Amino acid sequence: MSAAAAIAPPAPVSEARRSGLALVVLLIAPIALINALGFLVPVLNLARMSFYEVEPTGAMREVYTLATWLTVFKDTFYAELILNSITVSLGITLLTLVCSYPIALYLHRSSGTWRTILLVLVISPLLTSAVVRTYGWIAILSDSGLVNNALSAIGIAPLRLMFNKTGVVIGLTEILMPYMILALLAGFGRLDPRIEEAASTLGAPPFTIFRRIILPLTLPGIALGCLLCFVLAVSSFITPKLLGGGRVFLLATEIYDQAIVTLNWPLAATLSILVLVIFGGALVLYTRALRAIM
Amino acid sequence: MDERPVSLTLKLMALTMFVFLLAPLIVVVPISFSGDSYMMFPPSSWSLKWYPAIFADGKMTSAFWTSLLLAFVVTTLSLLIGLPAAYALVRLKPRGSEAMSALFTAPLLLPTIVLGLAILIVFSRYGLLATFQGLVAAHLVVTLPYAIRVLATALATLPIPIEEAAATLGASPFTVFRRITLPMMKSGLIGTTALCFLVSFDEVVLSLFMTGPRISTLPVAMYHHVEQQADPLVASLSVLLVILTLLVVLVVDRTSGLAKTFVK
Amino acid sequence: MTDRITAPAAGQAGEGFLSLKGLTKSYGGFAAVDNLDLEVPKGELVAFLGPSGCGKTTSLRMIAGLVPATSGRIVVGGQDLTEVPTHRRDMGLVFQSYALFPHMSVARNVAFGLEMRKVGKDEIAQRVKEAIALVHLSGKEEHRPSQLSGGQQQRVALARALVVRPSILLLDEPLSNLDAKLRDEMRNEIRDIQKRLGITAIFVTHDQVEALTMCDKVVVMNQGRLEQVGTPVDLYETPKTAFVAGFVGRSNRLKATARDGVAEFAGESFAAQAGLSGPVEIMVRPHRVVLSAAGADATAGDHRVSGIVARTIFAGDILQYDVDVAGQIVSVELATRGGETVLQPGAAVTLSWRRQDVFVYGTAA
Repeated sequence: MSAAAAIAPPAPVSEARRSGLALVVLLIAPIALINALGFLVPVLNLARMSFYEVEPTGAMREVYTLATWLTVFKDTFYAELILNSITVSLGITLLTLVCSYPIALYLHRSSGTWRTILLVLVISPLLTSAVVRTYGWIAILSDSGLVNNALSAIGIAPLRLMFNKTGVVIGLTEILMPYMILALLAGFGRLDPRIEEAASTLGAPPFTIFRRIILPLTLPGIALGCLLCFVLAVSSFITPKLLGGGRVFLLATEIYDQAIVTLNWPLAATLSILVLVIFGGALVLYTRALRAIM
Repeated sequence: MDERPVSLTLKLMALTMFVFLLAPLIVVVPISFSGDSYMMFPPSSWSLKWYPAIFADGKMTSAFWTSLLLAFVVTTLSLLIGLPAAYALVRLKPRGSEAMSALFTAPLLLPTIVLGLAILIVFSRYGLLATFQGLVAAHLVVTLPYAIRVLATALATLPIPIEEAAATLGASPFTVFRRITLPMMKSGLIGTTALCFLVSFDEVVLSLFMTGPRISTLPVAMYHHVEQQADPLVASLSVLLVILTLLVVLVVDRTSGLAKTFVK
Repeated sequence: MTDRITAPAAGQAGEGFLSLKGLTKSYGGFAAVDNLDLEVPKGELVAFLGPSGCGKTTSLRMIAGLVPATSGRIVVGGQDLTEVPTHRRDMGLVFQSYALFPHMSVARNVAFGLEMRKVGKDEIAQRVKEAIALVHLSGKEEHRPSQLSGGQQQRVALARALVVRPSILLLDEPLSNLDAKLRDEMRNEIRDIQKRLGITAIFVTHDQVEALTMCDKVVVMNQGRLEQVGTPVDLYETPKTAFVAGFVGRSNRLKATARDGVAEFAGESFAAQAGLSGPVEIMVRPHRVVLSAAGADATAGDHRVSGIVARTIFAGDILQYDVDVAGQIVSVELATRGGETVLQPGAAVTLSWRRQDVFVYGTAA
């Protein structure tokens, strides 16, 4: 071998690169296939579907038309649906932030085994099915549930906490809290206890330290958490469906009903694309907010 | 970590919010021991009858086995497909590898309701609806991005000199991968396995679009059950699922560190 | 397996056991290593010395096969290894970061190379035991790398590289992660082991003290090019370039102008390369300068300039004067013996030195 190697010219670089490329293609082909068949093609097809014609009988024809889009823009039902989705999601996002912030701050300040235990408590709900957690909320909020039984025990008239917006807001807030907590925690990395100590030695009382030091430093985490929760709230479907009992109309539940019950796929596709447009809007706002903060 | 003493106000607020966060999971425990035939809290009588009731319910048990098999197949495939792809993107760094990573993780950015609808429309054309293969394919669309993200991070943080050291000691590239790279990725592999398994086992929105009378997964069966009647059966089932989840979380924490796997 | 390089043939007299011929590595248009020619005789310890980014580590990695050479040849014991992949080169490499396998015990780390060579079980056990004893780690066989100190990890890395009896031992800044005391200890130990085994070794370092004290020969590199190869004494006493003069040992570098091979500084003439004209640097080592009070009869030295003490630094064993000579600072180091008068800033002094202690380098681009 040695004699041959001594006189053999070095392998051309392009050949080595070609064999490297073949290996890359081989390794990546399976995921590319899944991505194309399960993501790219379906999503592009969805966009096309929103322009298909639906006959009065409900049958779909592969004829392009703007009819569905026009219906969505003209019918006040859809305008209300969109507005409702956005306002409810915004409210849920705000509530989630308020409820998550103390937990995140407390977690940030704890350490060792205790911190691990708390982290498990935060992450476990995230890994538990939304169906299970929503079921838990039914047990708490229904007419024969925890809250109303407690109220009647002390002689207060029962409250309607389910099959309305209240139930949906309470349930989704709790369901989204782990996401918010984790996003806040990631953002708390910038919190240096010495900065707070410095503010303290300069004479700032605890609440002022929170308002002037902690809050501004954690704004990026807050922005990220809010984006995440808003996006998840707009597209969540299991909880509104079960806690809203078909009486709370949101984009996501409407998409499901149109797709599975009414079988009006062009309409479902159009509403899906509207959800994506709202996502885009939220993302733009987030980037702007982040630039203003930093 | 911050060594400042935590103020009482913060402690109380955090405690309240923790109670709120865990309330729906805690409340199912007493309900699962209810003796009532419909759900109320607190139950008027106690019994263990709702646990055997799970196994007597044919729909639930067959859905459970479907979900378990599905999660197993999806997790295995995610590792088999995700690991080579992550290796190619991180180590071989072909031109456009960043764009490809973005494309391969993009399905995570799409709400599952939109993804579910999109997949429903395409899969209906190929007769993949309400089939096991269809479910596997749909779940892979969402588990592969997790797999590739965790595995790519695990690969990128491995110190390359350790692999080079093995090569200088006479190990061929494949031996280096098998004896050095793979064992050092252990925590990343465990994290990926746990994540893919739980994502697939808990997945409900995509599955709702993909299932039918012929085949159902456990979360879908539970969803339909809750939609129709809220009896304590789902509570006892939930308790078992929460225990299963906690077990997975504990195993991950013991073997690779919980914070490392899920927070990053 | 047949083409694995075993039992390296002894190099012929006069020719290197390891030869690099026009070795070059370029990234785009930038040459990280530029046309390196080098002959390393069998059994020598050779240092690659230079500042970071000079190409010394890249050269080492090309020898190990971890970086493909753009052009040039790497020949070991008469065999061309340029196209041979790393795992068949039979070299031992000790990394700056040690690069121990974190999931294996000390013994398993050391055994790894022998397993790759399909050595029998009993022999592996025997050789691992010997190698671990060689680096004084007996009793730590079952420890994980994370349980060892930095110095101990470095010893494991050394044992792991040596146990396979490599044709060449490559050391990439092996001491730079150790504290000063350990570094001195390991320096002697590596040197002793290398001599005892008679192994050919390349030692990459940016630390001139390591290079001068440990190695038989030093290769000084700068910006991808070889500046000078020689024994430590050669480099110190006859640096061939301004870079070597400045990098190896401390030196005064005085800016001056030469005309027809003669440089002028502070009224004194210095012989430069014949016919050299233009800007030059005059180099003289601080401890080769003799200092005497102005007006005193300075007999020693061929060159003589006068100046004013600008700063006095007393460092215990050494007394340093920074002397202003014609607007440039000349540092002078004197070994203290006790009882000498320390001159204060402002004192007028005369500096002198011998002709053989001066080097003049052209600095024109």
